[in-house]
Amino acid sequence: MAPFSATIRVQRFNPDTDDKAYYDDFDLTPERDTTVLDALHMIKAEQDGSLTFRRSCRHAICGSCAMNVNGHNILVCKTPLQDVLNKNGRVTIRPLPYLPVIKDLVVDRSSFWEQYLRVKPWLIPPEDIPEKEFRVSPEEVTALNNAETCIMCGACYSACQVIGLTKGYIGPHALLKAFLRVKDPRDAASAERLADLAGSDGVYRCHTIFNCIDACPKDLNPTQAIETLRKLAQKRLAYERSRVQRQRSLQNPIVVD
Amino acid sequence: MYKSTGFISFVLRRFTGVALVLYLFTHMWVIGSVNSGPEAFDARLNLVQTPFFKLAEIALLAAVVYHAFDGIRLIIVHYFDVTEYRKSLFYAIFAISAILVIAGGIPILLFALEG
Repeated sequence: MAPFSATIRVQRFNPDTDDKAYYDDFDLTPERDTTVLDALHMIKAEQDGSLTFRRSCRHAICGSCAMNVNGHNILVCKTPLQDVLNKNGRVTIRPLPYLPVIKDLVVDRSSFWEQYLRVKPWLIPPEDIPEKEFRVSPEEVTALNNAETCIMCGACYSACQVIGLTKGYIGPHALLKAFLRVKDPRDAASAERLADLAGSDGVYRCHTIFNCIDACPKDLNPTQAIETLRKLAQKRLAYERSRVQRQRSLQNPIVVD
Repeated sequence: MYKSTGFISFVLRRFTGVALVLYLFTHMWVIGSVNSGPEAFDARLNLVQTPFFKLAEIALLAAVVYHAFDGIRLIIVHYFDVTEYRKSLFYAIFAISAILVIAGGIPILLFALEG
């Protein structure tokens, strides 16, 4: 594969020496199959060892390397550099927006994890558990809409303008997780979850801007999950009754609306 | 700010909403003067019978039309599973609003030019 030339524009910020962020341009001759993360590695290895960024698995599953490339949040490990170069062969890489920058492309994700823990993303099982396994129907699994494949990269959270405007907002990542638990027929706390989600920082704070869908590198749909939670929150007592009824018959799966 | 079609729509919705509230107060200020008699009403009405305000009615029409149709778009999104058509819905609302503003704006413009 023939190499080509590219200019990588990276936002830099060192809290020890800089008052505000600035941009550095790095010229590279990458290969055709070089990813954006490979390009950052090349810069760090060959041009500026102080360039700081997060990465881990390089297989789009750990969620470490979410960054803002040309104004869009993406996973840089799975994005070919060629796909993001403009006609002048340039690309601009910034840290995730709306989050405090620790250094260069590394952001402080504390608020992201705090909101995640707030929705109690773990399963709360009922007191009466079946003797063998919980039996969940294929329809019930389908209803979860692949929400369990979220890799917690933060791309949706930092693409959400409501996060930029309202720090208390739970955020699309945690609401997607809450959706997963509320729709899970094995979970015993859907009514309490929905009561919290119906609060001022919950599902009704979403302005349906859809950035979370566009930003998600796993093609998940947090907005639709939020819309579903809104409807369930309006009839949460009825939903709770159907859940109790469903759990009593876990040995004999039925479809829960 | 994270730029996207959804954000443009969100900003326009907020902007037109605030503009409509401001218009409503101005409207009440003018119409409310009828309680003070015909002379007071005519005097206040004359303040807004200028070419500027006549042209501003096109902007008012644009704000009403866009805000209303964007609201309908949101209702559709809330009650139907249509998130995969989000971009089409944005552009449909922009197009419908533009057509209605042009269709309604031409008579307003002709009326303003008449005098």
